Amino acid sequence: MNFKNPYLKTYTLFLALFFIFASSALVAQQSDFQIQQDFRAELAALNERVELAVSTQELEELQQELVSLRNTYSEHSAIINAAIYPDTFEASVNRAEENRAAFAERYEVIEQLNERVDELSAEMDVFRDRINQMTLESEDLQDQIERSAASESRQAALIRQYRQNIELRDSFVSDFLAELLMRYQTMDRSNQEELSETTARMDDNPLQVIKTIIAEYINVADQSSALETPDYLGMRAQHGYFSDVWERIGERLVNTFDPERPVQAKQEVEDLLAAWLASVDNRLWNSLTTAFNQNNIQLGPFTSPQTFNTALNNYVDGGIEISLESNSEEDYRIYRNFRDFWNNTVKASWGEALVDGNILSQSEITAIDIKLNNWGEAAQPSSRLMFILFLVSIAIIIGLIVLLVMKRR
Amino acid sequence: MLTKYITTFTVITALLFTAMGCGSSMVIQDVDFSQSIESVLTPDSDQTVHDQRFGIKFSIAKILEREGMQSVDEVRLIRNRAGYYFITADGFNNVYVFEPAERELKKKRIIEISSQGISNPAFNQRDRFIELVDRVSGQTYNIDHTGRR
Repeated sequence: MNFKNPYLKTYTLFLALFFIFASSALVAQQSDFQIQQDFRAELAALNERVELAVSTQELEELQQELVSLRNTYSEHSAIINAAIYPDTFEASVNRAEENRAAFAERYEVIEQLNERVDELSAEMDVFRDRINQMTLESEDLQDQIERSAASESRQAALIRQYRQNIELRDSFVSDFLAELLMRYQTMDRSNQEELSETTARMDDNPLQVIKTIIAEYINVADQSSALETPDYLGMRAQHGYFSDVWERIGERLVNTFDPERPVQAKQEVEDLLAAWLASVDNRLWNSLTTAFNQNNIQLGPFTSPQTFNTALNNYVDGGIEISLESNSEEDYRIYRNFRDFWNNTVKASWGEALVDGNILSQSEITAIDIKLNNWGEAAQPSSRLMFILFLVSIAIIIGLIVLLVMKRR
Repeated sequence: MLTKYITTFTVITALLFTAMGCGSSMVIQDVDFSQSIESVLTPDSDQTVHDQRFGIKFSIAKILEREGMQSVDEVRLIRNRAGYYFITADGFNNVYVFEPAERELKKKRIIEISSQGISNPAFNQRDRFIELVDRVSGQTYNIDHTGRR
């Protein structure tokens, strides 16, 4: 631009002066009342947007807008202070910023919770798929067992496989429960409430998965015909573990994943647990009775852990009583038969599952062990050789006395 | 002794009279009555406006009559440092200056602004005057209770 031209110079100066005048006129045209009204309206709008914000990103943008609002109106702070007395410009903007920061913090927590829920959902999907796969395998094996009745060796192999499948499922479910236990056992009420706000969108939350698992266990217990006592004992042990975990974290799970109806949700799971136990017990007592009978041990009838313990004690007490009365070889054989079955099968093979499944406690097993020792002592027949040796000894003593008397004479 | 009592009595009496005299003519100088922000008031059906913040309530019927108007949506009111009230509204030709008295506002002055009427007016409190802004034309007028400056 050539400023040497005097006309151009004058024109530029005029233009600059015009703009300065125009801008000052613009400032002058403002209404103080309007300025404070605009400030209030803009601040209120920003506060409202803070309340309605749904992401931390949105709240970050609002922070920029609050900074901009502060910059725009700080020169009018005196007017605003007068208008909003006893409040002040600084205090009202600070309050808005603090409110925004509080919302941002809350949203940060919510976003973290959302991530946790996503992780949970993914875990639940994997778990559900694995359980479904195991169920299909289990059903397939059950079908094959029924079809292969003609071939004993094939059936035995299939039953083995079926047992392995159940064990695998138990192990998988136990891992899942251990994970749940670790995660929810120490969760406090505020965490439960925070998580419950975001878990509503989960298709399968841990509570629903637990219900599915129990339903599947009931199904397995009701339909399995090829299983034996150790299998049912294992199921009862699994039920015992499941009930224990539920007792420890059930309350927290229902508060987190079904906060609208926690009492009802808890009752539903407890009803399912009771139904599962009934299904297992229905098979277990028959199976135990058969196992004892097959080993020539006729226990009294039992349909619960208490009556089973009573039947065992009655059997041993009866044996001791008979042995004390007759002390025959037959009694001793009965004792040995029970002792062997008790030690080699009941304790060695089933012992852990009996305790885990809350069928017999360790102290009840020990009590029977003590009684069994007493029975052993009572049942052992006394030897005739001792009696013969006793008679021979007396005869020798008498002979020696006679001999001595004869020698003196 | 008597002389001493009389002197003391005289001094005390003089002091009392002085204090009483001072009380009757006590004047606080340099009071600032200014209202930082104008009040924008909406008349009710009786043409009464009520400024809750600054505690004043009055009828604008006489002002409307003077302006030849039936009603207005809003009345702008501001008080200057001297304590005079300035009143105008959209479409008014004048700014009305009132002086407060016991249960009344006494007209101090009517300041003519425009025969065309002021459009969308606003009062701003400035250091030594009130600024009236015509927010449509952008024109400003500096006024006080004595008139336009």
